[in-house]
Amino acid sequence: MDERVASRIEVKNLTLGYGQDLVLDALDLPIPAGQITVLAGPNGCGKSTLLRAIRRLHAPQSGAVLLDGEDIARLKGKALGRRIGLLAQSPSAPLDMTVEELVRLGRYPHQAMLQPWSARDDVAVATAMAGTGVAHMAQRRIGSLSGGQLQRAWIAMVLAQESDVICLDEPVNHLDMAHQLDCLELVTRLNREEGRTIVLVLHDLNLAARYADQLVFVSGGKVRARGAPEVMMRADLIAEVFNVTAEIILDPVHQRPICIPHRRG
Amino acid sequence: MFGAHLADITIATQTGHAAVSRRVWTYAGLGMVLCLTMLGSLVFGYKVYSLADVWLALSANDGSETATVIAGLRLPRAIIAPLVGAALGMAGVVVQTLSRNRIASPDTLGLNGGASLAVVVATVVFGVQSLVGLSLAAALGALVTSVVVFGVAAGAGGLSPLKIVLVGVTFASLSHAVVEIILTSNEAQLQQLLFWLSGAFVDRPISLFYNGLPVVVLGAAIAFALSGALDVLHADDSTASSLGVPLVLVRGLAFLAVSLLTGAAVSMAGPVAFVGLVVPHLARRLVGLRHRHQLAAAALSGAIYATLADIAARFVIYPVEAPVGAITAVVGAVTLLVLLKRRLA
Repeated sequence: MDERVASRIEVKNLTLGYGQDLVLDALDLPIPAGQITVLAGPNGCGKSTLLRAIRRLHAPQSGAVLLDGEDIARLKGKALGRRIGLLAQSPSAPLDMTVEELVRLGRYPHQAMLQPWSARDDVAVATAMAGTGVAHMAQRRIGSLSGGQLQRAWIAMVLAQESDVICLDEPVNHLDMAHQLDCLELVTRLNREEGRTIVLVLHDLNLAARYADQLVFVSGGKVRARGAPEVMMRADLIAEVFNVTAEIILDPVHQRPICIPHRRG
Repeated sequence: MFGAHLADITIATQTGHAAVSRRVWTYAGLGMVLCLTMLGSLVFGYKVYSLADVWLALSANDGSETATVIAGLRLPRAIIAPLVGAALGMAGVVVQTLSRNRIASPDTLGLNGGASLAVVVATVVFGVQSLVGLSLAAALGALVTSVVVFGVAAGAGGLSPLKIVLVGVTFASLSHAVVEIILTSNEAQLQQLLFWLSGAFVDRPISLFYNGLPVVVLGAAIAFALSGALDVLHADDSTASSLGVPLVLVRGLAFLAVSLLTGAAVSMAGPVAFVGLVVPHLARRLVGLRHRHQLAAAALSGAIYATLADIAARFVIYPVEAPVGAITAVVGAVTLLVLLKRRLA
């Protein structure tokens, strides 16, 4: 992990919970600009909550999330929406909504109450749909889409926000292998070609290792370790965080480490 | 962004333009049909008048019987019915988004129930007889109910669409039950109240229109101002918050808009059923899901629907007038079944 890259987001001493139960416990995490950061960890470790806290969907009990050095608690909702986009886990919308109507929702943070829809909004929506390959189905109802198409439409909605930081909460859940790759290749392209900062929650450790610049292991509400996948994919670390014993080998195609779990630790 | 997709961007923009001109025609068509039905409301009834009679009565009221019927009796209902229909149509759109429930209506929030209860209490307990008094009671009842339902739903945590519906339905059945108890123990006033409670446009003084109009305009203005945020409320709460929609504030204002629109409608015509349920479905079929257009189309088609129902009410059990609420309920139920069947097919 190259620490010289400037941090876009700095999670500082973040403590957050429901009543007595702490989900995040004085968690610290820098998220570098222009990189793909993947949060991984066992179920209930707090990675989803962390992602949602970065977009201020949960208020911290103490600590802060800094965006370019500024506490996000001080930003207005729409202003934050223009800077950090979030695709929630299993998002929902009416089935008779068209793809275009869905993607247009992403322009909400850019709209003022009395300011009409502008040509700039049109371009942002059309560009987002083109970039995700859903432009030709703009007038289709989302209820008629396949899982992969639907996920691309939702990603287009987040892209229409034109935020520099994009958070995606388990974006490849419920997708088959081909569509998982499609989705993550799309995200990578957004990162490489447009320099957007991406934060992902992924369950599949091998996908995480393939696409992450910074891989973060979260467990018990804390960051256990973070770094480049090559450093993170170690049998002892995985045993400690995920409670499985695993073999680590090098993926012969991508030259990235992959993990073969063989039993519960 | 990606050069190869430039053609796609152009295509998307072009289909957008086609949608715009389609909507313009839709609005023009609805506006024309509305004018025709309002004219029909002046022409048809116990007696059918000619267009010349109507023109004469409206331009130079000579005090003849024909002129008195047209200008004094038919004109008020020809403008009250569309206003009520428009208000209930818009209220229905907002309620269905607020509750994320396509078969919700202002009645689901208990507003009609609260209005009915207030009218019955005003009549039986306080001896209110005048129509203006009853209409004020109805509006007050709808407003008080919306505050109570909103308060309880918010207190129960987070104002989720499900809680709004649950609390609303509970209050609706509670107030209907109380209304029935009061009515069965006061047979003397039963006939008069029964007619009021099923909604009607007959014998309404035009002053009700002037009282209701500013309230409807205010409610509509709030709803239109919220239209962008309501669009986003189509999506789940996490998505809506992450786009920057202040959920509680928007839901509170949407509630206010619904209670103003419904309160005004009930004050003019009593609880006219099913308009707020069916009209949003028509509106969505015509112009899609964006609220700016949904609200506009619902206002126009609601106005047409209520006016047509009012005309039909004069002929169903001719020569006696049927309560218009019964007409809208029957027509509405059939329309809804047809819509549901088409959706499933």
